[in-house]
Amino acid sequence: MAIIRNKRRHGLVALSLILPFLAIFALVFAYPLYEVVRLSFTDAPLIGEGNWIGLDNYVRLFSDRIFYISIKNNAYFVVLTVIPTTLIAMVIALAVNRLSGRWQALALVLFFTPYVLPVSVVTQIWAWMLDFQFGVLQPVFTFFTGKPVPVFKNPYWVLPSIAVVTIWWTNGFNVLLILAGLRNIPTDLYEAAALDGATRRQLFARITWPLLWPVTALVLTLQLILQLKLFDQVYLLSEGGPFNTSYVLLLMVYREAFQLNHGGYAAAISLILFLLIAVVSVLQYQLLRIGRGKDT
Amino acid sequence: MHFRKIALATALSLSAAIGVATPAFAQQTVTWWDFLSGGDGVRMKALISQFNEEHPDIQVKGTTLEWGVPFYTKVRTSAAVGQGPDVMTYHLSRLPLGLSEGVLTPITDADLENAGLAKADFFPAAEKAAEGPDGTLYAVPFDIHSIVLYYNKSFLEGSRFLDDQGNLTGIESVGDFEEAMQTAADNGAETPLTYATGDDGGVYRVFYTLLAQQGGTLISDDGEILPGDSTEKAIKAVETMTKWQTEGWQPEQALYEASVALFTSGKSAFQLNGVWEVPTMKDLATAGTLGFEWGAVQVPKLMETQTTWADSHAFAIPVHGKDEMDPEKRKAVMTVIGWMEKHSIAWAEAGHIPAYKPVADSAEYAQMQPNATYATLADSATYDPRNDIAGVASPVYDASINILSPAMHGYLTPEDAIAQMKSELESRMR
Repeated sequence: MAIIRNKRRHGLVALSLILPFLAIFALVFAYPLYEVVRLSFTDAPLIGEGNWIGLDNYVRLFSDRIFYISIKNNAYFVVLTVIPTTLIAMVIALAVNRLSGRWQALALVLFFTPYVLPVSVVTQIWAWMLDFQFGVLQPVFTFFTGKPVPVFKNPYWVLPSIAVVTIWWTNGFNVLLILAGLRNIPTDLYEAAALDGATRRQLFARITWPLLWPVTALVLTLQLILQLKLFDQVYLLSEGGPFNTSYVLLLMVYREAFQLNHGGYAAAISLILFLLIAVVSVLQYQLLRIGRGKDT
Repeated sequence: MHFRKIALATALSLSAAIGVATPAFAQQTVTWWDFLSGGDGVRMKALISQFNEEHPDIQVKGTTLEWGVPFYTKVRTSAAVGQGPDVMTYHLSRLPLGLSEGVLTPITDADLENAGLAKADFFPAAEKAAEGPDGTLYAVPFDIHSIVLYYNKSFLEGSRFLDDQGNLTGIESVGDFEEAMQTAADNGAETPLTYATGDDGGVYRVFYTLLAQQGGTLISDDGEILPGDSTEKAIKAVETMTKWQTEGWQPEQALYEASVALFTSGKSAFQLNGVWEVPTMKDLATAGTLGFEWGAVQVPKLMETQTTWADSHAFAIPVHGKDEMDPEKRKAVMTVIGWMEKHSIAWAEAGHIPAYKPVADSAEYAQMQPNATYATLADSATYDPRNDIAGVASPVYDASINILSPAMHGYLTPEDAIAQMKSELESRMR
């Protein structure tokens, strides 16, 4: 009897402890999510109620040319950023790790500073550096291509340029994560291996790389989610142009919702994006874990 | 010591409270939003402060927001929840979308009476553009603005394009215009013609003018995009603009400010830009820093007919969520609008043509140069298509920067560009 009551009390205590979280989660995540799903089956404007129209938004979405262009651009951007930024972060982290004391702190500050900047500042800096008429980087383009390139107005340059800006901006955080991973590797492993005559290359391939893999996998997954959510840089630098070569799903959501007042349709697009990110990131994380399992 | 301080503070705050409450009549505060940040914004602020001085019972609190999508997005969201302004500036080209969004309140005859205005006081085209499909007025037109052709006389001296008085003459076709640009280039103009080739508005206004001059229709009344031979006319318009680009007559990817600077710094002989840059030119000429003689005329007949793109700034009263505006306040708002209309001669200084005819027909306006020279364009102007997807900050503007500008710069053929524009605009219609 006493045990049962105790169990019940335990349950109540546990419930009361998680209740604040549950309440906030329900309020700011579950309820909005439910609303998005509901909205996506209506023809609601941005603000206000709409009529139930069943699957019409989805039917329309899957025959919308811009939707496929956006998905393609999102995928291209992921290719341009996720693996490159992880590799660059790893190289920087390995280099920083060899420094010590103040120099290491200074290097970290230098690499982390861009991450602190708000996106509008970052895009302003780069828009001016790459400005067609006055940009300080235009002589570089002139040197290689023979003439200045309006990078955010050129269909071939626009996404790679936005990728460069994005990597420059967000890389510092990845460096920190990987550096933390590096510091977690016990030094005696390296000592033992060195005594056995392992070369630098072997040290990296046999110790650093496999032991760092959990962190690398985390960085890759975080980056994948982040880069699929691309919006600010495109909105501020190219507005999706020229002729939709930098149009991405979130820009489509923004245009439909805020410019054309199609709240329901925008909800359908964002739901698809949400599902896409969820599925792709879970798949990727699982794949990376399997890959790691084989290695070790 | 402490006590005295507190007593003093209390006395001060008491007197402050009384000071606010002293006017026995109810003072109305009118919240005003506009998107006017250029030379015309300065003049609008002067008008507002003059109004406030003359009306102790009505105080206008003006806020300037960013032109275009940011402004209209903010208006829609704030009006829907009842946090919008009491009066705002609005583009009449944007009215169809505004009506479908349901952000505008009808301007009744009683409202007009409160403002001391009547429908017949306005240019018919502007008044028509302010009406909904059923003839209800939803905004009070304030001006008609358009693009005009600015010219720098120093590049044309001695050529057949300046008459005895030094005014622009002899441009009656694209051929003439191109010859004039070549003449200017030979006389040392770096980029003979400037407009914002890398911005939505700059590209759209020139494109729409060239299309309208051929008698083409962008969107028909029943919602067809580029019906019939309008497609070919649109292609011809893009071809013409592309030619100007490949010949090096117009700047590559010029953003708005840069395009104006090309003209004011004397590097361009011509500028196709809005009348709103007239004050900039006047101010520079008065300050003596311009360094050349300039003029502005209605865009010449480059194609078959003489017409120019035009739009109107108007005043509109947004909905306040589910609430009705207090009648006293609405009366105050209409007083503001009526006063502005009657003082719009000051607005004409900003280059715009007053939509209020008593001012546009006044002797004072007839004296104003170059305004009076190009004022005739009001009679032949072509307004934007009456459609949800047209007007300022609309998909049509997006298509201009997204598709037409790249085509001019050689990334797409004119045929491809128009085909893409057509399918894109069709997909935006619902």
